Amino acid sequence: MTIPLGHYLILAGIIFAIGLAGALTRKNAIIVLIAIELMFNAAILNLIAFWHYKQFAALTGQMFAIFAISIAAAESAIGLALVIAIYRHYKSVDVDDIKSLKG
Amino acid sequence: MDYAFWTISGITVLGALLAVTLRNLVHCVLSLILFFLGIAAHYFLLRADFIGAVQILIYIGAVAVLILFAIMLTRNVTGEAGPQEVVGVKWWIGSLCAALTAGLISFAVRADSVAETLSPGPKATVAVADIGKGFVGNWIVPFEAMAVLLTAALIGAVVIALEEVRNRR
Repeated sequence: MTIPLGHYLILAGIIFAIGLAGALTRKNAIIVLIAIELMFNAAILNLIAFWHYKQFAALTGQMFAIFAISIAAAESAIGLALVIAIYRHYKSVDVDDIKSLKG
Repeated sequence: MDYAFWTISGITVLGALLAVTLRNLVHCVLSLILFFLGIAAHYFLLRADFIGAVQILIYIGAVAVLILFAIMLTRNVTGEAGPQEVVGVKWWIGSLCAALTAGLISFAVRADSVAETLSPGPKATVAVADIGKGFVGNWIVPFEAMAVLLTAALIGAVVIALEEVRNRR
């Protein structure tokens, strides 16, 4: 028997929720970036699962996944550069210490 | 097929949980690599071979190493998280939001009967040559836009990381 599509969607939802919990609760900015990567991967897993079960047009799902992976790579490079710049400025990567804009 | 799905799903969720809960940052990245491997195995299971290889190359080969470099560049002298808290004071609010999100997604998937009735499409795997032809054919505009985006991201990352050095001179 084959796995229904719903299993993959719920698995992606669980991974997304774990990433959301990490991004909202951890104090280290690098862990927040790791959590964002988890959420990205959950979304891309959804794309591939839908492609496998429906195959709308032969290539579209895989192409979307490749572009999403490229954007995620660019995002993580920029994010880590920002973390390093923030660390040089504040001598800390704790997101609770970065509150210059707080009223 | 069933056993493979459940085993890989367990490994994936375990890696994700450890990646956001462990105290030592390096251990977090190692768990993240486990999670990336699980996702790649899922792609192989779904017959998206090329995406699985791309996942291993980009995420494990590039992103995980990038995060390790960032940890080494920003770590305090002690290295460990130390006695201070690793989570914020209102951690339960974030956890509650995440739990509600998971519950809502599960409820939505369960309530929608379409997801259960879909069956896997024809089992033809996509050849890598077709993906390459797609890049220079049908998808040429997004492909070029992606090239510009990656170049801009590369230059932007270098500029952001160099800023303080330039100001000091």
